Amino acid sequence: MNMVVCVKRVPDTAESEVHIDASGKDIEKSRLSFGINECDNYAVEEAIQIKERLGGTVTVISLGGKENDEVIRMALAKGGDEAIRLEDDAFAGGDGFAVAKALAAAIKGLEYDIVFTGALADDDGYAVVPVALAELLGVPHATYVKKVEILEDGKKVKVGRELEGGLLEFLEMDLPCVLGIQTGINEPRYASFKGIKQAAKKEIAIKSAADLGLDPSEVGEAGSWAVLEKFTLPVVGEMAEILEGDPDETAAKLAAILKEKGLV
Amino acid sequence: MYDTRNEERLEELSERPEIWDCTTCYTCAARCPKGLEPLEVLIGLRSIQIEEGRVQPTVRDALESIFKDGNPWGSPRAKRLDWVKDLEVKILEPEAEETTDVLLFICCTDAYDPRVMKVAQALVKVLDAAGVDFGLIGEDESCCGSEVRRLGEEGLFEMCDEENVELLNSFNVNRIVAISPHCYNTLKKEYHGLKHPVLHYTELVAQLLEDGKLQLKGELPKVVTYHDPCFLGKQNDIYDEPRYIITRIPGVEFREFDRCRERSLCCEGGGGKMWVESESKEERLAEIRVTDAKELGAEVIAVACPFCLLTLEDATKVKGIEEEMRVADILELLAEAL
Repeated sequence: MNMVVCVKRVPDTAESEVHIDASGKDIEKSRLSFGINECDNYAVEEAIQIKERLGGTVTVISLGGKENDEVIRMALAKGGDEAIRLEDDAFAGGDGFAVAKALAAAIKGLEYDIVFTGALADDDGYAVVPVALAELLGVPHATYVKKVEILEDGKKVKVGRELEGGLLEFLEMDLPCVLGIQTGINEPRYASFKGIKQAAKKEIAIKSAADLGLDPSEVGEAGSWAVLEKFTLPVVGEMAEILEGDPDETAAKLAAILKEKGLV
Repeated sequence: MYDTRNEERLEELSERPEIWDCTTCYTCAARCPKGLEPLEVLIGLRSIQIEEGRVQPTVRDALESIFKDGNPWGSPRAKRLDWVKDLEVKILEPEAEETTDVLLFICCTDAYDPRVMKVAQALVKVLDAAGVDFGLIGEDESCCGSEVRRLGEEGLFEMCDEENVELLNSFNVNRIVAISPHCYNTLKKEYHGLKHPVLHYTELVAQLLEDGKLQLKGELPKVVTYHDPCFLGKQNDIYDEPRYIITRIPGVEFREFDRCRERSLCCEGGGGKMWVESESKEERLAEIRVTDAKELGAEVIAVACPFCLLTLEDATKVKGIEEEMRVADILELLAEAL
């Protein structure tokens, strides 16, 4: 089973305050830490677990600058075999469709049975890449995949898609295919520091738009269907009440409010 | 007999869940008549699992957070100084011309945990009251790696060692004072090439009291006992300074645990246990400890370690005695007695 996993490096905003930068088209990232997109981390684990069961290879692909090497190396440390990084100034500002075009161009030349992506990205949340990528590659796809079972000696796959309320929708499809992986499908392993160091010895192949046979007009902002106009913060509503004080005080205030409103 | 060169056998041993129950308290080594350190064998077995990436998700997240953000609590560096709030503290500049007497090394748990933050705040108040010239590293401060090493993540510990030694050596200070015994032990005994002497805060504060630089005006009319942190007592022989400080607080009636000093019972907070779900169904040691304190007639259990504070306080809640039994760091008691 030969597999490709597409990974994205994203800022970790769960614990941080997010501010819009001067351009209005991005957030201030200088004080944020970065790591692998959460769904992508589960996608990496799923590919490696399948490789451990059935054999084959796992190729890791990421679009971005040298800073992406850290997330690539973590995936290699966990069991990835080869890595490709797509780097070109022409890729900047691309929407999900433009990103999918670059990924498709890189994947077309590979032998693959399954391409894994995360179901959606933590930063822009488009959830476009797996669908557009499958379309460009001319293969079937499934998104929000919470279960993967390889059938008939690797010719077919049965996947469970997560729907509302935890309901799983099961589909069967021919390989090759593209699967957008949802969090919780497995328990991602730890990449040890030594493992990451050793993975640094593995070569990461760098490919530009020209290497992929793509014209600059096809990728990045020029090749996008959607162009980011601006970010705005939600307007502060009047119903919101911010509780102040230390955790003991705020918890007591919150409990009092919930009781008063008859919610508990 | 175990063949240490039999990798299969080691692999098999490393899969036993009990290896994660060790708190690395050092009792086994302190009492070993042959001078061995059995805990190191368990740490070695853990490292086999770590190298294969097979660890509990909570351990994985703590280690990844240290690699990414320099702390095990999943918080960004940008929040590392939140504990300072409205206190005025000097942030040290690397390679400064002027020497600062003390660099305070703030443990990640003191920096990020809302309960333990109060201990770091109390330390600032106490040092200010004694007129000590001190400063903090600020947002660049990173985890010491004590728990990293004990979880078996040798490679990541080497990174902590290298990066922290380089950072700490860049400051023009006379000495480093660590607030946590875990940081203290690691900085003092496990780092390579650190040029500044390292003290635990109890050593500094005891000296300040002895020199008359710290005056205590308040009263604490309570029965107080002291729980020896393993990394301060058993592992570094610091037993007298904490007791000296506590007994200088006016009004305190001090009582010793039966199991005190080198016989002190571990609270189970060390050895990475803050992130490991225990396999053991036995009563937690911290619960035994607070029950012992109650029988002793103590009203306050004084501690000198962030992990002891959290585990013992938690145990008073489990035992339903949190109203009658206070768990507090020595620094909190001192700050109240200023």
